[in-house]
Amino acid sequence: MYKKILSFVAILAFSLSVFAQSYPGGVKGTVVNRVGRLPVADATLTLFSGTNKLASASTDAKGDFYIPNLDNGMYMLVIEAPDFVKMQVNVTVNDGYVKNMFTLSLTPSQKMDETDVANLAEFDMEDSGYEDNPTVLFNSNDVFNNTVGYNFSPIRFKVRGYSSESQDVLLAGVKMNDAMTGYTPYSLWSGLNEATRTKESVTGTEVSQFGFGGYNGLTDIMAEASSMRSGYRFSVLSNSAFYRLRLMGSYASGMLDNGWSYAFNFSARLGGNDWIKGVYYRSFGYYGAVEKKFDDANKLGFVFMAAPGERGAQNGSTQEVYDLVGDNMYNSNWGYQDGKVRNSRVRKTHEPIAILKYDFTPGDKFQGSATVLYRFGKNGYTALDWYDAPDPRPDYYRNLPSYFYMENSDYNRRNYPKYVWAKEAWTGDYAPTTHIDWDRLYSVNEMNADTYGNRSKYIQEERRVDQRDLNFAASFKWRPYSWLTVDGGANAKINRTENYKIIADLLGGDYYLNIDQFAERDYSSSPAKVQNDLDYYMEHGSAQVLGKGDKYGYDYYAQIRKAGAWMNGAFSLGDLSGNIAGKVGYTNFWRDGLVRKGLFAGLDKNGKEIVVDGDNLTSYDPVTGDVITSYGKSDKSDFFTYAAKAGLNYVLGGKMRFYGNIGYFNDAPSFKQAFVSPRTRNSLVRDLTTVKTFSTDLNYQFSSDGYDVRVTGYYTTIKDQTDVMSFYDDLQNSFTNFAMSGIDERHMGLEVGFKVPTPVDNLSLKGVLSYGKYEYTSNPYMTQTVDNSADVTIDHQFVPYWKKTPVFSKDASGSYVTDASGNYVIDHYKQHYVSGSPQLASSLGLSWNRNYWFIDADVNYFADSYLEMNPLYRTDMAVAGPDGKITPAEVEYMTSQEKFDPAFLVNFSIGKSWFIQWKYQVGVNLQVNNLLNNKDVKTGGYEQTRLVDNTVGKERYYRFDPKYFYMCGINYMLNIYFRF
Amino acid sequence: MKKIFFILMCMSAVFVSCDEWDPVYTFKYDDPGEYTPVEMTANTTIAQLKAMYDNTPLDIQQDIVIKGQVISSDRSGNIYRSLYIEDESGAIELKIGKSGLYNDYKVGQWVYVKCSGLTLGNYQGMLQLGFRDPTGDYETAYIDVQYIIDTHIFRGGIGTALQPAVLSESQILNSSNFGRYVTLKGLKYGSKDNGSAGEIFSLIYIDPDQDKTSQANRVFLSDKTYGVTTWAMSKQGFIDYLNAGNFDSATTGDGSRTVAAIKDELLANAAAYSVSQYFMMGNTEVQVRTSGYAKFADTQIDPSILNGSVSVDFTGILTNYKGAAQFTLINTDGVGIVE
Repeated sequence: MYKKILSFVAILAFSLSVFAQSYPGGVKGTVVNRVGRLPVADATLTLFSGTNKLASASTDAKGDFYIPNLDNGMYMLVIEAPDFVKMQVNVTVNDGYVKNMFTLSLTPSQKMDETDVANLAEFDMEDSGYEDNPTVLFNSNDVFNNTVGYNFSPIRFKVRGYSSESQDVLLAGVKMNDAMTGYTPYSLWSGLNEATRTKESVTGTEVSQFGFGGYNGLTDIMAEASSMRSGYRFSVLSNSAFYRLRLMGSYASGMLDNGWSYAFNFSARLGGNDWIKGVYYRSFGYYGAVEKKFDDANKLGFVFMAAPGERGAQNGSTQEVYDLVGDNMYNSNWGYQDGKVRNSRVRKTHEPIAILKYDFTPGDKFQGSATVLYRFGKNGYTALDWYDAPDPRPDYYRNLPSYFYMENSDYNRRNYPKYVWAKEAWTGDYAPTTHIDWDRLYSVNEMNADTYGNRSKYIQEERRVDQRDLNFAASFKWRPYSWLTVDGGANAKINRTENYKIIADLLGGDYYLNIDQFAERDYSSSPAKVQNDLDYYMEHGSAQVLGKGDKYGYDYYAQIRKAGAWMNGAFSLGDLSGNIAGKVGYTNFWRDGLVRKGLFAGLDKNGKEIVVDGDNLTSYDPVTGDVITSYGKSDKSDFFTYAAKAGLNYVLGGKMRFYGNIGYFNDAPSFKQAFVSPRTRNSLVRDLTTVKTFSTDLNYQFSSDGYDVRVTGYYTTIKDQTDVMSFYDDLQNSFTNFAMSGIDERHMGLEVGFKVPTPVDNLSLKGVLSYGKYEYTSNPYMTQTVDNSADVTIDHQFVPYWKKTPVFSKDASGSYVTDASGNYVIDHYKQHYVSGSPQLASSLGLSWNRNYWFIDADVNYFADSYLEMNPLYRTDMAVAGPDGKITPAEVEYMTSQEKFDPAFLVNFSIGKSWFIQWKYQVGVNLQVNNLLNNKDVKTGGYEQTRLVDNTVGKERYYRFDPKYFYMCGINYMLNIYFRF
Repeated sequence: MKKIFFILMCMSAVFVSCDEWDPVYTFKYDDPGEYTPVEMTANTTIAQLKAMYDNTPLDIQQDIVIKGQVISSDRSGNIYRSLYIEDESGAIELKIGKSGLYNDYKVGQWVYVKCSGLTLGNYQGMLQLGFRDPTGDYETAYIDVQYIIDTHIFRGGIGTALQPAVLSESQILNSSNFGRYVTLKGLKYGSKDNGSAGEIFSLIYIDPDQDKTSQANRVFLSDKTYGVTTWAMSKQGFIDYLNAGNFDSATTGDGSRTVAAIKDELLANAAAYSVSQYFMMGNTEVQVRTSGYAKFADTQIDPSILNGSVSVDFTGILTNYKGAAQFTLINTDGVGIVE
């Protein structure tokens, strides 16, 4: 690894000496609006050498400029245009060539900015391949977000601790967050970096020109043909953390004289990586766009794009497993099949997006646009499924040494010799123990002959979430007076997502049966009850025989309808500006079951109970008394939502800016959070309500003379969240579902970002600090159901230890103290935190650029990261144990939350680009992350929702070990690009 | 220009030729096919091995290899985590400790066991081959660990399934027949104490999470049938019997409470329970014991069996519990009604 990086560096160093002759040169380029990338006409360009003004020029209607007759040297180019922020760029003219600056993008005023030639580097860095699923927004003109985007992604940093669902991602003005879950949709276009590069972002509670947004910013990706940088561009990228090779090519025509623009982008991402075996990419991307500008007022564009492919997934394991194999990047998802590595969990997707967008710009005062966007195709995720056969997963807890022996004898695991054997299998990497034994699975399947051939005992299933998502969005910007701008828009979404499973691979067998193997254990004497498709069974008298590609298990539509409208008024009076905005919305969703499951048969079409073979299959909710049904339409959930925002912005002396925002949001829960067990039935979570969020921030920004500083304080409360967690519980031998309601959080903290010059020319110091407290502020309620029966295992029970763990007083001898009435005395509480991001994240780095060399080095420190909690461990039931008695030791053990160790990371990057014959640009970037090769950094994990209950003492329960994910060790990214 | 291209070519060459360029194989996977049968030579018969047991658990250290054909299947769930193998000298239970063994061990398949490192022990009259149990709770533990299984138990070729040996009444208490695949002919429903009225035995725990040895935590269903007409009771079957009031008159082991009084607790902690149904082979009592986890647990016993109008031929595994004859059905095919 090191050797390889060294050889790259050596080659880069070797290439220092290129070109050293002298000709009269010049500078040329195109000035565009950063937002929308349209050309800016009549921009004034002034060229300085030190403080001497040498030349000036202005752009033509296409935004082009040209300043000829320059000697070799370094210059400063100042670009000014009405309504845009003044920008200065360092230009080096070498070898007498006319330096092509390509596009220089101006930021619309309201925001202050200072851009230097590093902007070019920035574009290149965005190609890093690390942004496949960015955890934070890129807002390249913000020093904080810029650094956070590059340096904090590997540790899964989340801005202000917010969930990714809270981040609005728009494509051509249409909100693309997943209709069922709210997740950000970056994977829909990953690999199409060039086509999706042009975007506008706002952070926090700010309002964007393209949409109202939430409290965690908004990104609008333009994706139009005319928004892509014109010209050809090719790149080859290799990295060692995700996939080995990426090839990308693109072409954009720019706006042609006849008003047409067209653009293409293709990419392929292939191969495995150095750290996590079994993880691979075989992904592609295609994008085609065409646009016609009919006249000054009318423009119509069409885009078709997708990122099809497959990707092997990683799995988390317990620390015991990582320690046994001596590798925190161990992945239990793969095994050898006939000597080849095969991953059991593969994401297979092909979800094209078609966009039709119309822009209307009748004059300076009004512009409007309307978009129709349709997303469709398939999204699958494979997994092993098995019927009446041992669990094939290597890190299943019964395969681990700890299952046979634990030092704490209360666990009732006392066979040390077996522990030794199991340990030897793991430490000696005995493959049938440490990995999936595909050969055995095939052998079992091929030796199980019966009536219809070989009945597969192990199969690979593919869980499909296939969307049909039709969207309409319209927005306008109206500027009736020079001091007033009104933005607004309306949108609607019709989404039908079909959720089902198919047989992806019978693994050598001939067929599988459409029955519920979990139900079969409890209802083996009732063949009707174990049917996944009861109607089929009633018609044919036997369970459906399944072949490859057949649907089975469950099949339902998530039907989601959304509509909304928003408006924003912004005024600008000298140095003071502000805005006030409002939004209203309507969300409606329901489940539509397409198969009738034997366990939850419901009523027949005449409203009668369903009786098969003398078994009454109709069941009722023990709490509400309602019929539980898997088939047909559920009740519809309706939510009227609203939100309001306001902001004030004051510029002092042209260099300093004070601004603040405030917002209140009343949002609908997502489909995923609303159904207790959508795989099996129509039942909704009770007491479903909207999520109420209040958010405010105060900011200070300073930008001048190479100094760029931002300081932000924020405070956000999120109330009444619901969550549904589903997992396999092998004590119940069934999937079980926890529905939580009334989860409240508070996020508050400070963000600092700065970039300042140093006494050394071209060297600047940059730093970022994000310090927050993301806390739970309520104890929610929990309801537990199992997929196997109508039983409500836990009904709307308070989760008393969710937000904090009490720590009890002890006397000098270490015994717990009781008060006069015999109760244990609480000394203090330990707060529980929102997981998923370090709450302290900081970075300090040096950035040097000169003559198209870019060198960056930084040190990052992360702390206060917490493990995701499960509600079970915070209930009285789990704390009390089998004896029903709650003791301080049990409370402190069972309810506490794990905090991860802090981490140091060092990154380095170097890049260089060359201009060849003032026509071509070639560049190379090498980025090396985690130079210290730190392999002990936890990026996430979760608690297993299970208890060790078979104790000797019968007094208490124990937790199962949590599962973790780790960041990979030293890794590189090398990008070579060529454009003209 | 040329220089740059040269440099780029060099760099491309570096990463493409790198030994870490090891793409995960993502295209077609060959079907690995069935397992490769192992061929070994046994040096000891099952009877010789069993004869080595001398009233204490025997940790085998000698190089002993036995072989036998699989005679049991856990497909129906009545036999669980165990495998019975039989050679010409007798049969023995292998406590492999995994579920779904029938997927890997087919009836009739030859199995070779390298006994060194395993333990021979006795459970209430039945000899078993398992692993050491350092806790002393049992004479043997389940072998469980895949690595131990893979280094001690080897799968040979699949031969013709053994035919059951037809045993006479006098042979069923002969220990050399324990664990064998047998047919017992002409059994009648009923017990020594209750005659044709019949009798069952089942042990119920009030709270399975509490001390299972405490008499106050146990209910014995014995001495009569309690109207149990199934081979055993799944969890749902148990709940149905409880709700129907079948067990109301039974009492806890210490006699302190009746089932009627603790029914809520029993329902809350309901589980599957095994049942022994009593039959007579001539004058010898045979308990047909069936697990509550068997798929046929809730299967109704043919009424003509229960009312004594027919006799039954049973085929399955002959076992023994503290000197009494027990019988384990492999599945309901082992119940043959004799008109």
